[in-house]
This record gives sequence, structure tokens and C-alpha cells, in this order.
Amino acid sequence: MSSQPFDSQSAPASPGAPALPPPAAAPYVRLPKSPGLAAFLSLFPGLGQVYNGRIARAFVFFFAWVGSIYLTASGHEFPFAFVIPFVYLFNIIDAWKGASAANARFLGGRSEPEEQPEIESPVWGGSLALFGVLILLNNLGWLDLDRLARWWPILLIAVGAYFVYASLQARKAGGSADEPPRL
Amino acid sequence: MSRPAFSPEGVTFGVCLVALGVLGTLANLGRIELLPLLRTWWPLSLVLWGVLELVELLLRRSSRGRS
Repeated sequence: MSSQPFDSQSAPASPGAPALPPPAAAPYVRLPKSPGLAAFLSLFPGLGQVYNGRIARAFVFFFAWVGSIYLTASGHEFPFAFVIPFVYLFNIIDAWKGASAANARFLGGRSEPEEQPEIESPVWGGSLALFGVLILLNNLGWLDLDRLARWWPILLIAVGAYFVYASLQARKAGGSADEPPRL
Repeated sequence: MSRPAFSPEGVTFGVCLVALGVLGTLANLGRIELLPLLRTWWPLSLVLWGVLELVELLLRRSSRGRS
């Protein structure tokens, strides 16, 4: 580029030596998404996903957030009081990761948005379905979730046991045991 | 990393919108009470989402096995 400013470090060492051409500047690339802006917009759940162009995801986060607040306020503190911060923080992280993934796709030369599924285990889908069935049974009066409230730490035991199991499996398979298991 | 067979949350969102539209129309026609129905049956959307996630995972695994 001819508009490069004079740099004393790139000047020839001695007055008699020929001047070297300045190194070519890397072309400026404007990334399509800003992960910081996506995370900031997600302070209102769903807005960061709208910015990322993931409208369905935006609605899912918005309704999960509003729904869990509504259900907590209407007397179902367990488990929805736990769900509110989870949904809120997950929504911010998801917006950040979505914008980063869009930038990575852009730099990789692919213009079509492509899902990069990270969930390779049936635990996520199974948990969602099980959670839905439990709440539905509770709503129909066939199960009393309030009576199960005292047993919630068993969830921690199950998740912890799964992490231990997945770490041991990763070590057996030759992978890094420090890598967190995928849920 | 293989391409997903479909977007589970997209399908769930679409199905829920269609269901909401049908139920809203029926409620406007005086056939059903919308809010009590939604309060009871909304977890079906979670069940649908979870099942679709499992189906998508199975389809992705089977297509990877074939290629």
C-alpha cells in the first residue's frame, strides 16, 4: 500500500543499502457479527439470538425465561426458581457463541449459515423430554413435584457421576481427561 | 462434524406456533378455554423438543454410518 506511513524500524540499516519494500498489510476484514454486542443484547433474553439471525432460538429463550418467572411467581418455586438464572446465563453464552460461530463461518468462506451441532449425546434430548413429562404429569395431578423437592440434590449426584464416567471413558479412549464431557 | 438432519428447535417452534394458532382460533370461536389448556399442556413442547433432539441425533448418526 502506498499510503503506509514511514516507519523508522523498516528503514535501511545503512545509508548505502537498498530500501526494502514495506511488508504488505493484511487486508482489513469486517466481521459480520460482534460477540460482545450479541452478549450485551442478550441481557434481554432472546435479543442476542435475533441479532444472530436465530429467530426460533430467540423465542425459545424468551418464553423459557418468561415462563419460568411466571411459574415461580405462581407458586412453583421448585424447580423454576433454579431455571431462571440458568436460562438467563445460558442465553448470554449462547448469543456470544452464535456470533463467534457466524464469524468463523464467514472467515471460512462459507456464506450459508450452517448448524454446527455440538451435542453428540442423547443426554440433552432425553433430559428435555423427561423434564417435560415430569411437569406434564405434575400439571395433570398424577405426580406431586413439591413432594420430590427434598430429593433435588440427587440431580447433582447424577450429573457428577456422569462427569466422572465420561472422564474415565475419555481417558480409556486416549483423549484428554481434562476435557469436559459433552452433555 | 456432520450436518444436522434438521433443526429440532426450529421444528418445535413452528409446531408450537401452529398449535397456538389453532388453539387461539378455537378459543376465539368459544370452543375452548385457552389459558387453562396452555397452563396444563405447555410441557408437551418440551417433550416434543427433547424427542426431536433424540431423533435428529439418531438420523445424524445413521447418515454418518452410511457415509
